[in-house]
Amino acid sequence: MALSGDTAVRGGTNEDVALAAAGDASAFERVYRTHVAKIHSLTRRMLGSHEADEVTQDIFVRTWQKLGQFRGDSAFSTWLHRLAVNVVIERRRSFAIQRERMNDDPSVLDFVSVAPARADLTVDFEQAIEQLPRGAREIFILHDVEGYKHREIASMLDITSGTSKRQLHRARMLMRKHLGGS
Amino acid sequence: MTMHDEWTDKLSDYLDDELQDGERAAVEAHLRACRECTAVLHDLQRVVARAQGAAAVTRPPLTDLWPGVAGRIERIRQPHRLAFTIGQLAAAAALVAIVSGAVAIRLLGPAAAQRTGQVAAVAPSDAPLPAAAAAADDAPRAAQISLADDQYDAAVADLEKALKQGRGKLDASTIAIVEQNLQTIDQAIAQAREALAADPANSYLSGHLVETRRRKLDLLRRATALTDMD
Repeated sequence: MALSGDTAVRGGTNEDVALAAAGDASAFERVYRTHVAKIHSLTRRMLGSHEADEVTQDIFVRTWQKLGQFRGDSAFSTWLHRLAVNVVIERRRSFAIQRERMNDDPSVLDFVSVAPARADLTVDFEQAIEQLPRGAREIFILHDVEGYKHREIASMLDITSGTSKRQLHRARMLMRKHLGGS
Repeated sequence: MTMHDEWTDKLSDYLDDELQDGERAAVEAHLRACRECTAVLHDLQRVVARAQGAAAVTRPPLTDLWPGVAGRIERIRQPHRLAFTIGQLAAAAALVAIVSGAVAIRLLGPAAAQRTGQVAAVAPSDAPLPAAAAAADDAPRAAQISLADDQYDAAVADLEKALKQGRGKLDASTIAIVEQNLQTIDQAIAQAREALAADPANSYLSGHLVETRRRKLDLLRRATALTDMD
């Protein structure tokens, strides 16, 4: 059953967050339904469709465990998003992908199929993202889609800002090819 | 890497305003003279614009993931639900009755307890004691006992000795109830120790043992206070 965002999302307010932090599972379900589409989209882009469901569940279980640490210094959505990114990164590390991710071998460019630009741009763009090499994809999503700065990405991934910039440029050039650039 | 690549490699940094002033000026000068790099820059701008647009497009999962999340949360909330034997659970339940029973004896008197034949669930375990008993609680032997083994054992021994010396002042039925309850508590402590030995990292069991020992101390203090009231 696909969840309709508008019908499923009800509440998810700061009050629900507070209630959930006090152990109210019903309030936490409202929080879940408010944010699940955005979190699932993040995991799907960063890890691919096949892992997105499981990792999304991991993220919300972790959220439940850590709700007591949310102090309201930032918006809850911002706090949740950062927690989600951390879970995704841990997941990647747990599968020892880190080494592969930082491989600067330019031959990875060949792994990406080049497709002409199409009318269904959103789907096409999402598919193009999924085809990026993992390392480039991760940084492209964090920087260009999610809006993190290079220094933040470097901190999260334990890399240098220079590496982050190089991977971003590589991802953009691959996406350019996919979208029909020369 | 060609000379051209050296310039195109700078285009993302240029686009993100990550270049120093001198580099930026050099790139801009090159762009004015190079159509190819200008075209690449425009393509990169399109890519970035599309990525930023994608951020606003979210899709929920195709299946409802909440039941899975809810199930895992439930297991977190009740991590030890299946971890205890029936005997352990019975002992834990008995503790509540024991301490409440001790208070019942205190508040209603031995005769009342004997009359009803039930000592449980009359009052909460932390119900206030009559003044005489409270005064007895303030005696040095009962004051702020640590649950560290040495201090605890010494305090228990001290109270047991005092109770033994004063038992002649207590009604026989009261003595029987106190001794029976102490025996039950000791069994509960032994079971908790056994379970903790099998699962030393179990924080619930650890807390349960501490609480059980505290309740034994509390019962001894209250029983001893009875001997001091007359």
